[in-house]
Amino acid sequence: MTTRDIVLIALFTAITVVLGLLPPIPLGFIPVPITAQSLGPMLAGCILGARRGALAMLLMVLLVAIGLPVLSGGRGGLAILAGPGAGYIAGWIAGAFVCGLVAERFVRESQAERAQFVAFFAAAVIGGVGVVHLLGVPWLAHAGGLTLVDAAKASAAFLPGDLIKAFVAMLAGRAVLAGYPLLPQRA
Amino acid sequence: MDIVFTAATVSYAGRVALHPLDLTLGERRIGVVGLNGSGKTTMARLVNGLVKPTAGTVTVGGLDTVKDAEAARGRTGFIFQNPQHQMILPILAEDIAFGLKNRGLDKAEIAGRTEAILARFGISHLARRRVHELSGGETQLGAIASVLVTGPDFLILDEPTNQLDLKNRALIERTVAGLPEQVLVITHDLALLDTFDRVLVFHEGRLAADGRPAEAIRAYREVAAC
Amino acid sequence: MLNGLDIEGSSPLHRMPVRGKLLLLFVAAIGLFLLSDLRLLAPALLLAALVYLSTGIGLAEAFRRTRFVLFTVLLVAAMNWLVHSPLEALAVFCRLSALVLLAAAVTATTGISAFMDEIARLIAPLERFGFARAADVSLAVGLVIRFVPEIFARYQDIADAHRARGLPVRPLTTLAPLIILTLKDADTIAMAIDARGFRRH
Repeated sequence: MTTRDIVLIALFTAITVVLGLLPPIPLGFIPVPITAQSLGPMLAGCILGARRGALAMLLMVLLVAIGLPVLSGGRGGLAILAGPGAGYIAGWIAGAFVCGLVAERFVRESQAERAQFVAFFAAAVIGGVGVVHLLGVPWLAHAGGLTLVDAAKASAAFLPGDLIKAFVAMLAGRAVLAGYPLLPQRA
Repeated sequence: MDIVFTAATVSYAGRVALHPLDLTLGERRIGVVGLNGSGKTTMARLVNGLVKPTAGTVTVGGLDTVKDAEAARGRTGFIFQNPQHQMILPILAEDIAFGLKNRGLDKAEIAGRTEAILARFGISHLARRRVHELSGGETQLGAIASVLVTGPDFLILDEPTNQLDLKNRALIERTVAGLPEQVLVITHDLALLDTFDRVLVFHEGRLAADGRPAEAIRAYREVAAC
Repeated sequence: MLNGLDIEGSSPLHRMPVRGKLLLLFVAAIGLFLLSDLRLLAPALLLAALVYLSTGIGLAEAFRRTRFVLFTVLLVAAMNWLVHSPLEALAVFCRLSALVLLAAAVTATTGISAFMDEIARLIAPLERFGFARAADVSLAVGLVIRFVPEIFARYQDIADAHRARGLPVRPLTTLAPLIILTLKDADTIAMAIDARGFRRH
């Protein structure tokens, strides 16, 4: 872990905190606007890669745990981690990791733009959506006394918004790769 | 304390940033000028070990910057151009104290040394302030305090006033002038160097001139052809 | 810009050491999930609310902090009502709400530096195996708090630049420059940290 890695991780976590301060992104056809902050795990994985991306999200969760109001809306503290949505928050860490793994493996600077888009979108969906729900749903089921199926159904309501997030993350990931590539390349 | 360069060379991927340099620096006030890319920043970073020589050696008070890296770096302090990049903790006093944390001092001693250095630069009133609320000059002073609190003998400042307005520039220059430590300043501000003991001019990776401020600056103007 | 959520006070919870509070919270969580009888869970919720208020937080602030999570608890309980039964739903509501309020009480009575000290203690055994270093963790936390205001200011500059050019301020065009400009600073900041010899290997 070089000093530069620590700084990159911390700066990315700081970016994620700032995303929580931005106004929600309204989407015409979905009633609930998406918060910029929820792009965090996907961006972390796509831009910093698996290891650093996961650590950036871990640092974020740590800040919430120690009582800093870093989640959008000025929320923070152990109460958030004790709620039914805690699995999703844990999912941020694992999701960033898997998103990063896919991005590292399939994105290459030498590729055509379209191939990069596809790879980043896949990374964002598998990691940022798939893994997050994979961890969020079981905890929701357990905490809420629901069957996995019911919890999954409740979770599914967020999927359309999540896919749009993945799309935005894909665009941002590619733009950052073009402007200041930091993504490690994994064979 | 003497800083000695012996055939110190720095090259990256085929490009020579600094040609073999033989130099002994012992004066109290040393200025360094040169165009961007002239090698002046590379030379300065050799002193505190941020850059290692690809050939030759650099010693700080007799300590080799490669073999005794830690000890050598402990004798020097380095101030960067952008004040914002150097303060890494949110509250000024915390940032200053952090430099002392890894040295096995107890809390009381750390607090004492922090207060002392803040008082020395007249910024005690800024101790509990948030760094991002400070002016550029105050931040740069804070950076100088953070660096000097660990007691280095030699301070290197890399274009310290580049990003500051006139008032803050004057503040930093006054502060630097009053430091008892040995000082090496890289600067584009030629007026600053009038009171210095020695000025080095770098050009295209070599030492082009070396002497009293007036002659060195004349040589610099010629070399820079302006 | 970022202030911790702990509040001043001298309640029993304030005076309890961090480790003790976290252990109690953990035990309470296990207990709450083992109970299923509403006759026990409802008083448990009442007790949790009293514990939270005993910190001196005041009703308004107590509610402001927890309303979002409690709302999600309400939604989950409502779903429970639909697929199972009203009694089950109430049990779920009491259980989860009690846990949330107890957790909020711990947060309200524990300062950031107290947490960081405890984390340093917990990481110490890991340090020996080379997994993590407490100094690095506290450096990272400090860096985040330090740079959030700068990054936010940078976002506002980017947004202003957009407006000046008559462009709509959209995440698509503001995120990439924000991230690039911020991460580019990492090199110089890392150099400044190394120049001060913070991280000794």
